[in-house]
Amino acid sequence: MRRVAIIGVGNSRFGVRNDAILQEIAFEAVKEAFEDAGITQKDIDLSIVGSVGTRLYEALPAVPVNEYVGLDGKGPIRVEAACATGSAAVFTAYNAVASGYVDTAIAIGVEKMCEVDTPTSTAVGGRGGNYLWEFHMFGTSFAGYYALYATAHMSRYGTTEEQLAKVAVKAHKYGAMNPKAHFQKEISIEAALKSRVVCWPLKLYDCCPISDGAAAVILSSEEKVREFKVEDPVWIKAVGYSSDTSNLVRRPNYVGLGATVKAAGMAYKIAKIEPKDVDVATVHDCFTIAEIMAYEDLGFCRKGEGGKLIDEGQTYIGGKIPVNVDGGLKAKGHPLGATGCSMMYELAKQLRNEAGKRQAPLKKNIALAHNIGGTGHYCYVTILER
Amino acid sequence: MSIKSRPLSFIHDVPIIKTKMFWDGLKEGRIYATKCRDCGKIYFPPQADCPKCLKSNLEWISLSSEGEIETFTESHLKPQGFTHYEKPYIIAIAKTPEEVKVMGWLEGVEVNNVKVGMKVEITSRIQPDGYPVIIFKPKYMK
Repeated sequence: MRRVAIIGVGNSRFGVRNDAILQEIAFEAVKEAFEDAGITQKDIDLSIVGSVGTRLYEALPAVPVNEYVGLDGKGPIRVEAACATGSAAVFTAYNAVASGYVDTAIAIGVEKMCEVDTPTSTAVGGRGGNYLWEFHMFGTSFAGYYALYATAHMSRYGTTEEQLAKVAVKAHKYGAMNPKAHFQKEISIEAALKSRVVCWPLKLYDCCPISDGAAAVILSSEEKVREFKVEDPVWIKAVGYSSDTSNLVRRPNYVGLGATVKAAGMAYKIAKIEPKDVDVATVHDCFTIAEIMAYEDLGFCRKGEGGKLIDEGQTYIGGKIPVNVDGGLKAKGHPLGATGCSMMYELAKQLRNEAGKRQAPLKKNIALAHNIGGTGHYCYVTILER
Repeated sequence: MSIKSRPLSFIHDVPIIKTKMFWDGLKEGRIYATKCRDCGKIYFPPQADCPKCLKSNLEWISLSSEGEIETFTESHLKPQGFTHYEKPYIIAIAKTPEEVKVMGWLEGVEVNNVKVGMKVEITSRIQPDGYPVIIFKPKYMK
């Protein structure tokens, strides 16, 4: 396997983007990624388009996206791994370059979620488990699935609604500093606690918004990094992946995600690092409980102590391990296919010391992206180094 | 500024030939699982094939009607297909004495009074709209 570097990243503005269609949003991210890398379409050998696409009128979204951004003929491969689609797209591009089959590949993650009404969006999301045995009878939703984990975690470890709210407060603090975030305003813990119940015990401010957006990542071999004269390549050190049962009733417990534990274990082993070596992380905080579980399942703290970690402020910049200092899915937004690519965008900027007032201090120049699909149905953990 | 897309709707005919016993059981308040005659593994939700043995030699077993709540939520969200239900519903997961976990709607109790570990009776019914649902009811100590 060859070494593979991220040489360019781009990110559209996230939010309710009723000013643009799918491919127009993808264009914003691709254009920025090309400018960042200092290359053009002619330098790309393969395009990977990640889009969950279940809310789209476009049945084959990869092809119109690829055409619009001027990459027709260079793929595309369409990738889907639920909310981890973006990371799966990067992994697919990584493998193509690492194997030597191509020299330069682009992963484009894009999603339009706000063109359908909320009950439709909720129904599509709620089918992201096992339709026949869950949604069909019980009307599950994504918030409902994570609420089942929140209840069990609170019951087992004494995690509180205040601790969940603190995760939201942190996300909004950094979202307010990120011009690409869906929500760019701070919130108070009182407002979070008083917001309406969505799926008890999760309230409105425990949930990420329904967002539109795109992000793009360009990957190259070491040889091409030299040829393109890339000054600040960010190397992909490891990718760990795993999955879990589609049926929630077949899981051993509801206090953590087995897929995270396995994917993280794989990534740490390949990268030959430990959780304490990570300078900055993006974790999958589609709901506040998901961030608390991620702290534990990634080894940033002991199992059951995720609530304590946020109480102590250890996941803010200046703490033990800054997490989601771009606002996370919670405030930056979670356009499904874009999220994994957007995590790479943020971490590449962080490792290149280009994050401005949101810059986390770098000691070992190692960053970690944790991207979940569904309720732990998929997991990718990607470790980057500069 | 926007234009309307052409409408597209799906209603699927889902084959239940291999799991008919389960769907019939829901009409009578019974929950059925399958058990592999070769390795003894119990499958719930029921399935016709055993991936462990790579064989399809399974029998139907009726699950106990007793369960213990492992976790729960009250859904105030109403996805498309559920918008005609008036009230929020409590989705819970209960474990049976066979160590099988079942999802169901917990009824007859306010969410604030539900606790992990609570004992429930597991039954089922057909909703007025024709869709089946597994129901949990609190079992209070006498």
